[in-house]
Amino acid sequence: MRAALYIKKGWIDIVKTIMNNFGYFMKEARTIIKINFMSNILSIVSIGLILFFAAATLSSWWISNQVVEIIEDEAEINVYFAEDIDKKKVEHIINNIETLAGVEEVRLVDENEAYHRMEEILGKEAKVLQYLDDNPFSPYIEVQIDLKSMESVIEGLKNIEGIDQIRDNKEIFDKVRNLSSVLKTLGYIFIVAVGASTLIIISHIIRTGIYENREQINTLILLGAPDGFISFPFIIEGMILTLGGGLLASIILSLTLRYAYSVMTGPLPFIPLPDQKSMVTNLVSMIMLLSAVLGLLGSLFGLRSAKSR
Amino acid sequence: MIEAEGVCLNYPDGTMALRNVDLHIEPGEMIYITGPSGSGKTSLLKLFIGIEFPTDGKLTVLGQPIIRGQASKIRQMRRSIGPVFQDFRLVNGRTAIENVMLGARFLDMSNKKLKENAVIALKKVGLEKKMFSMVEHLSWGQCQRVAIARAIVRKPRLIIADEPTGNLDKDNAINIMELFASLKEENTTVVITTHATHLINNLREGRLIHIESGIIHQERLD
Repeated sequence: MRAALYIKKGWIDIVKTIMNNFGYFMKEARTIIKINFMSNILSIVSIGLILFFAAATLSSWWISNQVVEIIEDEAEINVYFAEDIDKKKVEHIINNIETLAGVEEVRLVDENEAYHRMEEILGKEAKVLQYLDDNPFSPYIEVQIDLKSMESVIEGLKNIEGIDQIRDNKEIFDKVRNLSSVLKTLGYIFIVAVGASTLIIISHIIRTGIYENREQINTLILLGAPDGFISFPFIIEGMILTLGGGLLASIILSLTLRYAYSVMTGPLPFIPLPDQKSMVTNLVSMIMLLSAVLGLLGSLFGLRSAKSR
Repeated sequence: MIEAEGVCLNYPDGTMALRNVDLHIEPGEMIYITGPSGSGKTSLLKLFIGIEFPTDGKLTVLGQPIIRGQASKIRQMRRSIGPVFQDFRLVNGRTAIENVMLGARFLDMSNKKLKENAVIALKKVGLEKKMFSMVEHLSWGQCQRVAIARAIVRKPRLIIADEPTGNLDKDNAINIMELFASLKEENTTVVITTHATHLINNLREGRLIHIESGIIHQERLD
């Protein structure tokens, strides 16, 4: 009980010291940054670029992952039949398809619906369809399936009489899924690399700052200042550097994404991109949080290694 | 306040700085330590602050044994001491008042109260007009007075001052000695090393400790 009260009092004292001296700590951090101004600016730029590359890789993974999810949700096979067969035969094919394991829904898409769907996909570019005299699209059977059963369904369809052509998006899906998995791995590698390099940069800067201010630190030690009081300006310095880098990365990333979206939504309208605004908000929040955590950890590592030295 | 029993201090190069020092200093006492250069005055003060450790004997300052391996407890003890270093140890790039405030920032004192106390301390050492001057623009004597103000702003139980009047003119030196003597009213113990024996003779209060070749001789002034 007594020990708990002492710990509680210790924390209250620390908070009180921080509150009483916040202005002093900020001023000290500014002075420490000024002493090595150029190296601090270069650190902000390098941290910013490192964070930007990590965030760019993560955003690519994010986009490809979204594409995979959409393809997974809309896993389907289009089945084409000879145009001269009668309605009864088409119904017979549909009934046969429905009996296959893994098939969730089967429906006939006539030539008009096929035309309208292409209009929707093309969006602004749909005006090219007006130059065609006749509707060039053929009717087909749309088969919604469970993605895991794609191969067995395709095998089953090959055995049904009257089917001319089977078109599936398995190949594209596999490619996107592979790309997404590569980007995901790259993203994780980048995060680890970003973490390690930022920690190294920050702890080095903090150690240099401590060395430059060793006289003042020794005086504070002789006056009886606690370690926390001496360390706090250096922790603020580390946080300012990483948050500065994070801010820089966020600005570059926002501009890059704006450009990338304008490029991708033009010629590739059928790629289902995530909402740009929410993507930027999420990435910026992630970068700033990561910067703050790395700044804190880097400063603590720097202080620890300087103390042990 | 300070208890020393057979304290010896030998430096690694073989120099015997202090030999068999026995001392008992009470709260509120005024102690003047004199002796020629290299006699061991500064070494004794370094022991009191916990910068050096006795190589033999027992030393306790403010109830804290001065032994190795108790760094954090010794640092805590230092918060009750107002040290005035021979080389002042002021922080460049800061004003006089900022340096004075630095001495007590980590003590339980609000920023407003600390500022008020710092102004009072600077007035006591006659530097109120220089409080916003950068310390690197002050003379040696002024820097010494800033260091003294930094020591007294902490309202310490013990003041340890190494040659606090060494760079001061006669009037300022008398003022500082009187300031230290007045701290007796607050039951503050003051330990001063000095060459200025003429100033001590005027004060007629406290105890004189003379060190020669690391051996101490004591006499009462009052």
